[in-house]
Amino acid sequence: MHATIQKKMDVILTYLQPEEKIFVVGCGNCAEKCKSGGPEETEEMAQRLKKKGVNVIGYSSTPSGVGLCSLPMCRKMIKEENQDETNAADSFLVLACGQGIHTVIDATDGGAVHPGCDTIFGGETEQPGIVKEYCSLCGECVTAYTAGLCPMTLCSKMLLNGPCGGAKNGKCEVDREKDCGWHLIYERLKDAEKLYLLEAYYEPKNFAKWGRPRSLIVKGTEATFKSLAGEHTVSRED
Amino acid sequence: MSSLKDKLNKGSFVITGEIGPPKGTDIETHLQKADLIKDKVVAVNVTDLQSAVMRAGSLATCHLLQKRGIEPIYQLTCRDRNRLALQSDLLSAWILGIENVLCLTGDHPSLGDHPEAKPVFDFDSVQLLQASSTLNSGKDFSGHDLEGSPDFFLGAVVSPGADPIEPHLIKMKKKVAAGAKFFQTQAVYDVEKFGEFVDKVNNFQVPIIAGIVILKSAEMGKFMTENIAGITVPDGLIKEMEKTEKPDLKKKAVEIAARLIRQVKPFCQGVHLMTLGWEDLIPKIIEEADLGN
Repeated sequence: MHATIQKKMDVILTYLQPEEKIFVVGCGNCAEKCKSGGPEETEEMAQRLKKKGVNVIGYSSTPSGVGLCSLPMCRKMIKEENQDETNAADSFLVLACGQGIHTVIDATDGGAVHPGCDTIFGGETEQPGIVKEYCSLCGECVTAYTAGLCPMTLCSKMLLNGPCGGAKNGKCEVDREKDCGWHLIYERLKDAEKLYLLEAYYEPKNFAKWGRPRSLIVKGTEATFKSLAGEHTVSRED
Repeated sequence: MSSLKDKLNKGSFVITGEIGPPKGTDIETHLQKADLIKDKVVAVNVTDLQSAVMRAGSLATCHLLQKRGIEPIYQLTCRDRNRLALQSDLLSAWILGIENVLCLTGDHPSLGDHPEAKPVFDFDSVQLLQASSTLNSGKDFSGHDLEGSPDFFLGAVVSPGADPIEPHLIKMKKKVAAGAKFFQTQAVYDVEKFGEFVDKVNNFQVPIIAGIVILKSAEMGKFMTENIAGITVPDGLIKEMEKTEKPDLKKKAVEIAARLIRQVKPFCQGVHLMTLGWEDLIPKIIEEADLGN
């Protein structure tokens, strides 16, 4: 789930020209979970902008549970369900993650967009309103060796071979409220009697797999992940 | 050619010192601190942007020490340089006559004076040791042959006071496998704990050089215990400093350092003196610690 947080109103207002005809777009999936751009927040943003004198000509959000980042769904919402207003709009204020922003560009065939949110991280929703980051989308998951806990995300230094000397009482040198990622990994490996996994030498990450923009193409039972590191194809057939 | 390597191989007890480069270009006074201890220590560490505070580089400073006849230990961290720059700086170091390298993770940028800097950490300290060993064998990290190769004497760091110690021991063993031939430790104040640590790493068969950080005041002791990872200054030492009058603080600092050295000496192969600007006290510390020549 992409965690997003609304940009401050005074920042959003700097993006908009006077008289610019704005259509507000929201996302019923991640942004709804973050209360930054779900159906409710989208309607609310439209009212808030109107109060500030912005020429809001319409608003819409994908339904609850449906992501804005699906181009077919986004196109349907913009081109079919709200076409009168969206055809008249000068631009779209998008209350969703960066993936949603680009989907709106595609759905409007190159329309002008303004980001209404900052996309902050990919996270686990522990409960509504509490989202925490556990994955850095590195393209090369190593959690088989770290009891499911990601050292790229939980260790401030992204270390792969164990802790640095900076932790105190199990807390990271960067923030004494933050758990040392390797301490968490060590405890979990120890509980699972798999400490031998920590004894192995781990090679450095292939940062070419982080080279953006990346793509995933799925054809039948084959999936191909493309990054700066090349094409990596996996078949679901054995 | 590395005297540090030579002495450790012969089983002599070694003493190393440490200086930090300037935040600026006025390097002479910093080099003079090393001049003070030139004949008292076998080699001098030069820190690599310690505490993530921007300073002149360890590479240049090590080279200048080398030129004045002082053997440097080039400290290299993973914080600021990717694998290209790390290997490149290592080759440069060898070309400039530097043999001893201490490979470290490095303090996070958020601790220093440029907290918004991009942390690199392309390698961790184990991988850096592995890469350095690979350079020693005549290849770069991607497997290409080198046009001339170094023969570094590689070292690493360990924190005997870390709790829990187990993951650090596992990592230490990996460092040895990756090529670490000596270890300098985080500051030791608790001799008993240090003894326990040494027991656990005996079978790694690498020389341990115990870190001795000069205790300048009771406040410093309390601060380090509260804030610095791996350091616990026992109450007894803090009380000793508290009872000392201001004019006698330096004398007491020397006394405590010397005492710690005498106490750890049976357990290790050397001491690493971090005197935080009080380098002029090193000759006295060495004398009081009965380290002779």
